[in-house]
Amino acid sequence: MLSRVAENLYWLGRYLERADNVARLADVNVQATTEMTPAGGGHAWEAVIATLGATEAYEAALGERPNLNPVDFVIYSTAYSQSLRSTVAAARGIAREVREHISREVFEEINRLYLGTNRGGTDEASLRTFYSTVKRAVAAILGLFDNTVLMTEGREWFHCGLFLERAEMTSRIMDAKYFIILPVPEDVGGPRDRYQWMAVLRSASALEAYRKQDYGPVTGPRVADLLMFDADFPRSLVYCVGELHRHYDRATEHTPPVRSVYAAREITLLELDLRAADARNVIRSGLHQFFDEFQGRLGAIDNALRTHIFQALPEEPTR
Amino acid sequence: MDLFSGYRIRSGRDEMFTPDLTVRPPYRDFLERVQDWDAATFIQRQETADLDTLNSGITFTVYSDDAGTERIFPFSLIPRIIAPDEWNRIERGLVQRVTALNRFLVDIYGAQDCVSDGVIPPELVFDHPAYRLKMAGFCPPLGVYAHIAGIDLIRDSEGIFRVLEDNLRTPSGVSYVLENRRTMLNTVPDLFPEGRVEPVDGYPERLLEMMVSVRPADVTPEETRAVILTPGAANSAYFEHSFLARQMGVELVEGRDLVVHDEHVYLRATTGLEPVHVIYRRVDDDYLDPLVFLPDSMLGVAGLVNAYRAGNVTIVNAVGTGVADDKTTYRYVPDLIRYYLGEEAIIPNVETYIGWREDDLAFMLENLGDLVLKPAEGSGGYGIVVGPQASADTLATARERLRREPRKWIAQPLQEFSTIPTFDGERFEPRRADLRPFVITGESSWVLPGGLTRVAANAESYIVNSSQGGGSKDTWVLREQPEP
Repeated sequence: MLSRVAENLYWLGRYLERADNVARLADVNVQATTEMTPAGGGHAWEAVIATLGATEAYEAALGERPNLNPVDFVIYSTAYSQSLRSTVAAARGIAREVREHISREVFEEINRLYLGTNRGGTDEASLRTFYSTVKRAVAAILGLFDNTVLMTEGREWFHCGLFLERAEMTSRIMDAKYFIILPVPEDVGGPRDRYQWMAVLRSASALEAYRKQDYGPVTGPRVADLLMFDADFPRSLVYCVGELHRHYDRATEHTPPVRSVYAAREITLLELDLRAADARNVIRSGLHQFFDEFQGRLGAIDNALRTHIFQALPEEPTR
Repeated sequence: MDLFSGYRIRSGRDEMFTPDLTVRPPYRDFLERVQDWDAATFIQRQETADLDTLNSGITFTVYSDDAGTERIFPFSLIPRIIAPDEWNRIERGLVQRVTALNRFLVDIYGAQDCVSDGVIPPELVFDHPAYRLKMAGFCPPLGVYAHIAGIDLIRDSEGIFRVLEDNLRTPSGVSYVLENRRTMLNTVPDLFPEGRVEPVDGYPERLLEMMVSVRPADVTPEETRAVILTPGAANSAYFEHSFLARQMGVELVEGRDLVVHDEHVYLRATTGLEPVHVIYRRVDDDYLDPLVFLPDSMLGVAGLVNAYRAGNVTIVNAVGTGVADDKTTYRYVPDLIRYYLGEEAIIPNVETYIGWREDDLAFMLENLGDLVLKPAEGSGGYGIVVGPQASADTLATARERLRREPRKWIAQPLQEFSTIPTFDGERFEPRRADLRPFVITGESSWVLPGGLTRVAANAESYIVNSSQGGGSKDTWVLREQPEP
């Protein structure tokens, strides 16, 4: 498969997954914080922006437009490249470019999502409609992708992007707890703490899974257990990195080791480290630090894919 | 006929109705099916069709358009319908013309007999900016230069089809032919006379067969790797490039995806380099190879032309076809047909004056107000001055330009051409339409039944290019009706 196309499919998977997660994150956090602190709408958006790692970009944008509404920034901005709308536009741009590698159904669904993401209202009701449109559309796209796209290399690259992005977003959503409010020691285990962990579970669509897996009353270590280490839960870090590993191996089945070995090493080590970790220890030594390192390692995988596979310099042909 | 009551033919011939508003035979069946519809039904179907077009991303990019660079190509539900005998003649005429043009191209890069025999002035060929000296002495596989030709036709007031323009470089539009048919079958299946409309979806297979047939000599058909070379997603015809790649199941590549080693072309895959044998390029000659043509081109592949000359890769259409589809050369095509084939042109030209000839130039300067002035180079309907509709200022400017650079211009009488009813949102009005059939040439020539019917943006306009707001229609070639 063409290297450029492989890279595009990988990014298509990433952008679609990111769009879904941004919608999910914005939806739940704003609801949760509004409920707990009636005057705290703005604060909730700050937390969302921090979770997405966009604080600096937001402050820069505020410098230019002091009245900039955080909703406009995170959701509708066309100037900010990571906004929900920009993410959908990027996914659609790629889908158009690699259209011959996805099915007509998948392209049309992505195109429809893109055509529907014009700027809407910033009130709660319009936003919720908007989020649910995005979430449903992405779900439909992923379903169509699974059922209509050929079982070839490109499909594996798409999934590599998707699971890498999902791992990153799950870690960011958990990290959001850190941004919502720095835990004061007396508060841990209290009603406020518990409520916030439930919001984290809902952001990751994990509340029902939490109940079904019988984790008991909601506490930080248990939520971390599910979202990080439960291999049965399809958004957990362990699951996502495992899937990334599996799809990467399939994608590079015929790739010479001189190209494939770098990302393979990063992915394997990350998976082993995750399997060897323990939720309680991680929390004791600091969740935020853990996620920082985790996201750094995902960045290293991304970098290895780009340098050694997608944009590798051509070697002599074998004839 | 409720739907068409109030329809008025303005000038020229109408494809659907005679001047006394009797329906013409090819449209009879269609009109019977559509005439019970009221305007609301029609509007609703049109909306469904537009939504279908938008959702499937059938868009093109308009350069120099600030807001939103993608537009849908306006599509009209009333088809152009061509009778079997009419089509038969067009088909023969197109094959004749493309055969002569290919012979001409082989000749001017080879023996140059047409020049020694005085059929065409040498300056017109060898001074032409699209004449590629680099290709002199090279004959591509099967002697085919113009593998894919799009010949623009119009029908004049007498009902005679004429060639308006030859397109032999990278003619586009065929994806719209296939997509228009799909949209019609999706939205108005009840308007089709069952089993009587020639299908169009054979095109991609024919195209692929042709590409395999012109492969380099030492490659077997099974191992032949064909690709489409696109300038990239920002190109106005990107939809078509991607569409054809999908329909043929071949890779769509950009210049940066290809590399040349030892005069062989490879594509850069995740697994390493893979050989490429036939390239259907949708990149102009000038951008094809920075070592030979424009050195700062980012769209091409360094070393491609040498690999081509070495016979290790075939480029479709060949390098250097631009001499033959030029508007100046056009004037000589009937002579070329006579010279190479010993036949008269089946489809006549439109009367044409070229600034290059002194007698023509004098006539052009004198009669500019009655003529349509066109740049000899270029496409897309840019720079055209329609004399009878132009202001005095525009005419003065045009005359000045013509005097300064006479060789850059050609002129034709304002050609009245046929109209087809088109819905303008409220009622039907006649819109001028041309027809671009597509001819594929490998071992022999094949004509896609029908072609792209393009319609002008409003009732007054004579320009049908999509870049100027024109739209398109499905084109139906009817089959012979079986004996009852």
